[in-house]
Amino acid sequence: MTLILKQLFSLINLLNSDTGTNQIAAGFACGLILGFSPALSLQTLLVIIFLFLFRIQIGAALVSAFFFAFIAWLFDPISHVVGSAILEIGALQPLFTTLYNMPIIPLTRFYNSITMGAGVVAILLAPLVFLGSRRLIFIYRATVVTRFKNSHWWKMWAGTTLFKWYANYEKLRG
Amino acid sequence: MQIMKNSVDNPAPTSKPTPKKVGMIRFEAIIPLAIVIGVIVFYFAFFFDMHLRRGLEYGATLTNGAEVNIGQLNTSVWNASVVISDVEMTNPSLPSSNRIQIGTINFHLLWDALLRGKVVINEASITAVQINTPRKLPGRVLPVQQGGLGESYSDKVLGKIKEEFSQNVVGDLAAIAAGANPVGQLNEMGADLKSNTLLAGIHKSLDEKNQQWQSRMAAMPKGEDFSDMQRRLANVKLDNLQDITQIQASLKELESLRDDFDVKSKSVQTSGAALTADLGTFRATFSELDKVIKEDVRDLQAHMRLPPLDAAALSRALFGMDVLGKVQQARNYMEQARSYMPVKRDQKSTSDVRERKAGHNYAFARLNGYPRFWLKKALISARSTGGSTLSGEILDVTSSPHMIGRPMMATIKGDLPQQGITGIKAELMIDHTTSMPVERLLMEVGKYSVSDRSLVDSQNVKIRISKAESAVKFMAELREENVDMHLTNQFTQVAIEVKSQSDIAQKMISASVAGLNTVNLNAHVTGVWSELDWQLSSNLGEALERGMRRYLQGEIDAARARIESQVNDRITEQRQNLYVRQGEMESSLKSALTERQVQIDKLRSALDGARSKLEGRKNSLLGVQQQKLKQGSGKFLDDLRKKF
Repeated sequence: MTLILKQLFSLINLLNSDTGTNQIAAGFACGLILGFSPALSLQTLLVIIFLFLFRIQIGAALVSAFFFAFIAWLFDPISHVVGSAILEIGALQPLFTTLYNMPIIPLTRFYNSITMGAGVVAILLAPLVFLGSRRLIFIYRATVVTRFKNSHWWKMWAGTTLFKWYANYEKLRG
Repeated sequence: MQIMKNSVDNPAPTSKPTPKKVGMIRFEAIIPLAIVIGVIVFYFAFFFDMHLRRGLEYGATLTNGAEVNIGQLNTSVWNASVVISDVEMTNPSLPSSNRIQIGTINFHLLWDALLRGKVVINEASITAVQINTPRKLPGRVLPVQQGGLGESYSDKVLGKIKEEFSQNVVGDLAAIAAGANPVGQLNEMGADLKSNTLLAGIHKSLDEKNQQWQSRMAAMPKGEDFSDMQRRLANVKLDNLQDITQIQASLKELESLRDDFDVKSKSVQTSGAALTADLGTFRATFSELDKVIKEDVRDLQAHMRLPPLDAAALSRALFGMDVLGKVQQARNYMEQARSYMPVKRDQKSTSDVRERKAGHNYAFARLNGYPRFWLKKALISARSTGGSTLSGEILDVTSSPHMIGRPMMATIKGDLPQQGITGIKAELMIDHTTSMPVERLLMEVGKYSVSDRSLVDSQNVKIRISKAESAVKFMAELREENVDMHLTNQFTQVAIEVKSQSDIAQKMISASVAGLNTVNLNAHVTGVWSELDWQLSSNLGEALERGMRRYLQGEIDAARARIESQVNDRITEQRQNLYVRQGEMESSLKSALTERQVQIDKLRSALDGARSKLEGRKNSLLGVQQQKLKQGSGKFLDDLRKKF
């Protein structure tokens, strides 16, 4: 829980800083895949391992996973249609048969129409979400953060001793 | 926070600190990750077995309908094995004892299949199986689920049969013997007979039909039409015709009249035929009335608790619920087998039933691949307990029978001397390898003891087998929706106990069953689930019929006659009235039809006569002209001859 809270604070921190844009954007893209995948599946496990191993913003991934899971639930009927269409393609039947009978691969549950549909949609949308969230972060920083730091009450707060102490602590901590 | 802090402390943009360079790999996460993995390993090592055991207990309790306890459960990840010990399944109808108690269930799963997301067990063993063992504490019994909205038609049919079997036929007969007047309240009954309602409906329908018939009659050519044609015929010149031209003109007029006649007479004949058929159909509803009257009599007999006094009804009352219980049990097992071992129909229906939300699981299985679940062989043994020789095996339990192409087979045989059961032999075959599901069960128990088995438990009388030795043979074959079941049960060395508050009833039933040392039951249930034919016969039912008939026949016959006369009295007037009305309408319609038919016949014969008269005159004129022509030509030839 501490780790998750730390990551969530870090997300707010990074969003309001000039750095970590790619980390947050990658987090959102991973969150999309997590949200669109069944909770107990191999791909979910792989994404979680990726989140731990690579410098991807876990907070962004978790927050967006929650959001995208809701979107995925709403789009289940469409995912079912897409997945069914893919799984019924005649030319891919030998491939699916091989995959279905291979070790490990069936644990992805690719043979389920919704899993397949949502998975394909998530993989196609992930690069777009990555690029889109990068763009949105830049816009956010250029508009919201700048307006916020120029506001009177922020300047008043930034002039207080308490804030200066905290700023020194942050500088020393690195 | 960082940028905001910088903007306040260091207003000059050039003084921004350079961010610390970090690599792509999150090395600092290795320790938390290791901790997470450690926690997972710890959970599986110390808590997983307990939670799995609780989960299995919960699921098995729901399936069994009463508490199921699992003493111990051990799983091994490396060996992919599960060992379950001390399984006790409470008997829902006797919570102080176990239905089945199993010493150990041991099975190894194939890692090769597990990696493919499948469960395959090469060989399992189920040892120390015992039945009807006492429990230390009575087990919890779940409340029986009543049929709700999802109840199928077959369930409703079985429910109705249950209602019929649970009727207290023997108790009602005992009450009559004790002096109850079964038709005492008959006069107080309301007039809500089905036959009354049907009669009112027929009266209404007769009014409607009469209107239809009258309008049909009105649409038919009328008598005046034919009279008019008669007048037209009279105006056709038939006599004193001097030449062919006059005859031709009369014939033409006659032809036109004939055409009109054909159209009108055909219309009368068609409408008449339809009307006659309709009248016949309506009359047929009267036979329906007779059936409903009989039904009313039966309903009133049931309402007045006037039970049938025959061996078949008594056998159903004595053993019907037992047989029904077995049929319902067979149906439940069949439904479970068809749900978990689905037959191959099309690609969609072969998929696994477990789905993520509303998604659909496709099966791309190969014939030599693994099905989702496959228990290849399980050995059952009870040899280690109390001299038991019970043993058997289960083969090919699978979620995709069509993939392995073999039916599931289970056999078990032996004795359980500790429970006093010998000669157990059971064979179960579930063939779902084709699109037609077939389940077959053959079960025999050579000998088992029966004590305190209740046959009738009513306020008026209680009959039970206090002690007997029993043998049972049960055969069931279910093929799609078809059912074929035979049950033969024989009780020997029978001691029957009868208790009644009435001395007469006690004496009557005791005398009926006196000297009966053997009780047989033969049950045969056939048909489809929605319409089963139940044939039950028992020598106990026959003995009761014989014995009770002596005491009750006269009384029951009198009561039945009274009910019949009561029903007839209530509807006789209405019925007579209906017959009279229907007769009047029919005769009126028929007389109108006959009248038209007479006119038609008369006109037809007049037309035919006129035509033949004209034809005769025509032929005669033609003959005269031919003669004249012949004479003329002869004279002409003579003159010509003279010239030359």
